[in-house]
Amino acid sequence: MQARELTCKVASLGAWGSYFDSWATLQQLMQGGALPDAKNKGPKPEVIPPNERRRAPLPVRLAVESSWQATQSAGVTPDALTCVFVSGLGDTDLTDYMCKVLASEHKELSPTKFHNSVHNAPAGYWTISTKTMRAANSVAGFEQSVSLTLLEAMIQCESESVPLLVTFYDAPVADVLSPLLANQEPFAFSLVIYPGSADIKGIALSATVSNSESVSWPASPSENSYLSALYKDNPSAKILSLAALLSDDTVSGDKVAMPLSKGASITFSRL
Amino acid sequence: MNIDIIDYDSCSAAGVNLTELRASLQHHRSGLRKNDLPGSTLDTWIGRVAQIDAVTDLKLWQSRNNALAALGLEQGTLKQTLAGLVKQYGTARIGIVMGSSTSSIDRTETAYTDLDENGALKPAFQQRLVHNPHAPSLFVAHYTGIEGPSLTINTACSSSAKVFATGARWLEFGIVDAVLVGGVDTLCLSVLHGFNSLQLLSTNPCKPFDQHRDGINLGEASGFAILQRGGENANGVGIKLAGYGESSDAYHMSHPHPEGLGARLSMTQALERAGLEANAIDYVNLHGTSSRANDLIEGRLISDLFPKTTQCSSTKGWMGHTLGAAGITEAIITMDTLRTQQIPGSKNLETLDEALDFSIQAAHLQKSCQHVMTNSFGFGGNNCTLLFSKAQ
Repeated sequence: MQARELTCKVASLGAWGSYFDSWATLQQLMQGGALPDAKNKGPKPEVIPPNERRRAPLPVRLAVESSWQATQSAGVTPDALTCVFVSGLGDTDLTDYMCKVLASEHKELSPTKFHNSVHNAPAGYWTISTKTMRAANSVAGFEQSVSLTLLEAMIQCESESVPLLVTFYDAPVADVLSPLLANQEPFAFSLVIYPGSADIKGIALSATVSNSESVSWPASPSENSYLSALYKDNPSAKILSLAALLSDDTVSGDKVAMPLSKGASITFSRL
Repeated sequence: MNIDIIDYDSCSAAGVNLTELRASLQHHRSGLRKNDLPGSTLDTWIGRVAQIDAVTDLKLWQSRNNALAALGLEQGTLKQTLAGLVKQYGTARIGIVMGSSTSSIDRTETAYTDLDENGALKPAFQQRLVHNPHAPSLFVAHYTGIEGPSLTINTACSSSAKVFATGARWLEFGIVDAVLVGGVDTLCLSVLHGFNSLQLLSTNPCKPFDQHRDGINLGEASGFAILQRGGENANGVGIKLAGYGESSDAYHMSHPHPEGLGARLSMTQALERAGLEANAIDYVNLHGTSSRANDLIEGRLISDLFPKTTQCSSTKGWMGHTLGAAGITEAIITMDTLRTQQIPGSKNLETLDEALDFSIQAAHLQKSCQHVMTNSFGFGGNNCTLLFSKAQ
């Protein structure tokens, strides 16, 4: 069987990083805008109650912030959205905390930090904060996190005929692991997608999986040195290559190809 | 949905492979033992796989988790089945979906006990493909030579149940022609001391659904199943994935919804997808961790949703709660009842919780089953139910 063409409509987007706090401000940077003088503080996603937010680790706050932004203009309430969350690196601050405590004499872990250490903590905080009882997935794909998760999200959206939130997030890596995993920048990006056949306004995309040629990640879509470094080191920021295809100056027929694995690639086209 | 199970095997403290697992179940032989994991003195019972220690040749892939995945892949006919599929379809048309909660954090823990004088990782631990949450799939792709898409699902204790749902969707859209789904999680200090911090560990062998249960036992396992679209391979095991349900509790990170609303949704979705009524289900393998809360809530839901003709059990008394590998371990036990015609009893059950009333017993039951289900619930309120049916 040949891989079926997947289609979806992108209804809305959210984004957060050191120098942008929305899809609009990220787009300005991507289109050559100057970096703001100071880095953003936070994020502080308002949908998480303050008590919970204080205890929420950075990856959770990143993921929930961009998710909340994207759902504000999606035309549905958040609890109507099936969701898929992905991080290439996970929460290395909590890994670092746990491994340090466990290497010590007393080995007593904080119960809150332990339950926050699960990779699906952002999905948990999101579904709890928004009272979403729909399927929530939490996946990892290391350097292929973006392409694999877009594939997973588009298939789930189409096969279950549901609107879907997909959120990409990665936080700076803790010291001990940073020689292996370079990322030092926080980043989160969210899309709300509908099946291609849905009667809504949105940017229509198709995706095709191919096994015929070897594909590498496209060059950074921006010359901005901050965005280029982000794109290189933060696995979730590889979504910038798709973001470029969703920006206001893109036209029908524009494409971007990404590697999925050694033997498979995926090409997204703007319809 | 129309998905065939082509092959499967399981590796846990209750048996290094399916043949041994069947024998352990048959003879009521539990793999649980007093905690003897090096480095931990916690007073609890664990399901440790002793044979992992012999897998030491993984070089830069070495971790306890990868060793258990490798051990699991060597069992039964998995390698031969995969070789046949590679020959027919090529490596790029086979996918991998692995579930795990620890990935290889066991290796990161070990690395931190042996940092160099500058507090940095020593060369043997500079393993970027191991110290990340995708490690299980990266390793399985390396070990098997599969080159199609490979994804890791990390939704805590529902992880390797959800792999069936994702694998089935990939097949239905033709992304791959076969998919190796699996799960692997290993005992490590993070989970032992983490669950201890939540006061969830029992100092005794676990007793799911028993009036006197007092907590869980942790275990480790790997398990794999190979899926294809229905009718494309005549050499399958005669079992279909008939339905799945996926839902969220939207309640608490580490405590189940008090009325089990999310769990109810995942079970009813699985039934709907399979086009079945509850009374068609012969057997439900319960999540049944032996925690006070889970078993009470899950047991109440079962009596609410299913008639007494549906037999239930928790099999965690055999190998413990294997966390991210529990989904596949129990999916295999569940689907295997369609071949062995034996419903496993609920090990260590003596007196059913007085608040509960559904069909569960310690003894095995001989029955030719047609439709069977299994529940997996995880932290973050993440639920998955799988439904398997005998092929007509």
